[in-house]
Amino acid sequence: MNDIDEQLREIIPRLRRFAVSLTRNASSADDLVQSCLERALSSWGDKRPEGDLRAWLFAILYRQFLDAHRRSRRYARMLEFFTGGDDAQPSVERTVIAQSTLEAFDRLPTEQRALLLWVSVEGLSYKEVAEILDVPTGTVMSRLSRARQALRQLSDGEITRPALRRLK
Amino acid sequence: MISMPPTERDLHAYVDHQLSDADRQLVETFLASHPHVCAQVRAWQQDAQLLRAALSGALQQPANPELDPAQIRRRLKRHSRRQLANAAVLLIAVSVGGLSGWQAREMTFVSAQAPMADALQAYRLIAEQGILPADYKATDDGTMQAWLDRYFTQANRLPDLTGAGFKPVSGRLLSTEQGPAAMVVYEDLSGHKISFYVRPPGPKNFMLPRGSRSDGGLQAEYWSGGGYNYAMVSPSDTPAARMLRQTSQF
Repeated sequence: MNDIDEQLREIIPRLRRFAVSLTRNASSADDLVQSCLERALSSWGDKRPEGDLRAWLFAILYRQFLDAHRRSRRYARMLEFFTGGDDAQPSVERTVIAQSTLEAFDRLPTEQRALLLWVSVEGLSYKEVAEILDVPTGTVMSRLSRARQALRQLSDGEITRPALRRLK
Repeated sequence: MISMPPTERDLHAYVDHQLSDADRQLVETFLASHPHVCAQVRAWQQDAQLLRAALSGALQQPANPELDPAQIRRRLKRHSRRQLANAAVLLIAVSVGGLSGWQAREMTFVSAQAPMADALQAYRLIAEQGILPADYKATDDGTMQAWLDRYFTQANRLPDLTGAGFKPVSGRLLSTEQGPAAMVVYEDLSGHKISFYVRPPGPKNFMLPRGSRSDGGLQAEYWSGGGYNYAMVSPSDTPAARMLRQTSQF
């Protein structure tokens, strides 16, 4: 049991980082991590699959976030309370003011943020991501490709700005 | 082995280090002679690198002791006896709607400690903090009673507080360990609030002797009747609280 706890302790900072990238709010992120760990610990014996523990926990946390998010749509004020606002969608105006990769990342839709974090930041394999999302590997790759293009476009805002200034 | 020219997927797999060494070599050779594709791939690599750097700080947060596995195990154990009840609560919470279920779950943990603690908690969430929106807003006198009757047919009538200037304005359904609850908020012209809270007595059929207690700046009058438990909550040391305390019958 202590061995399991040690493994979990190492992963918790990564879970918290992932949760913040989903909720954009530190305290609701920790609530999410907590319920993820509760779920993981109570279903450890029968549900824990072979393979990367991290990927399994990411999957639990992601599903819990989506469930809560979906349910909360009915109560817009609660949503604001938990996440500090609705999903920001990329727009032309926002593209121009995107100043850093992180800002651009924050403006991506939920699934694209999750994909980029899993693949580019955490280094999960396409197969592991496919299992988390329960889709074929090919689908992961095409969604990842779209996510990268979107991030690229938003980050390119930096370059657009000086060009606009020169026009004046 | 991938074929040349590489597909876009191959290029992503290259960026993500998911190609075999041999394939990796092939892509690198290809990129060396195709500057346009190469620029695109380098941009993806750079984005990934920037993202890793930008998010690395998020790993350095101070630890939250609430999230320690040992702590969570202890909590799970403590609550395992209540798990069945909680499952029911969450089920109701989902049908009542939204993340209010989370709040309601919090409420169930305190409800066992003191009589009608959940009524006080509901007052804080709804009347004081406005965190949970109303399910129903009264249009004129009488409609609030009709709303309440849809859920609690045998319950005591809503007390008439018009003499003190209070009228029922909104209602909210909640879930608790003891079953579904409803809270009606009364308001006077200057915005003071009193709540009327009703819920089943729970599986142990726990009926309350008439009583009163205050907790954290709030005062609750509670009693049982018609098969339900009730509480009326208001901020303590206000004219409204004194009025509630003196009213012998609701």
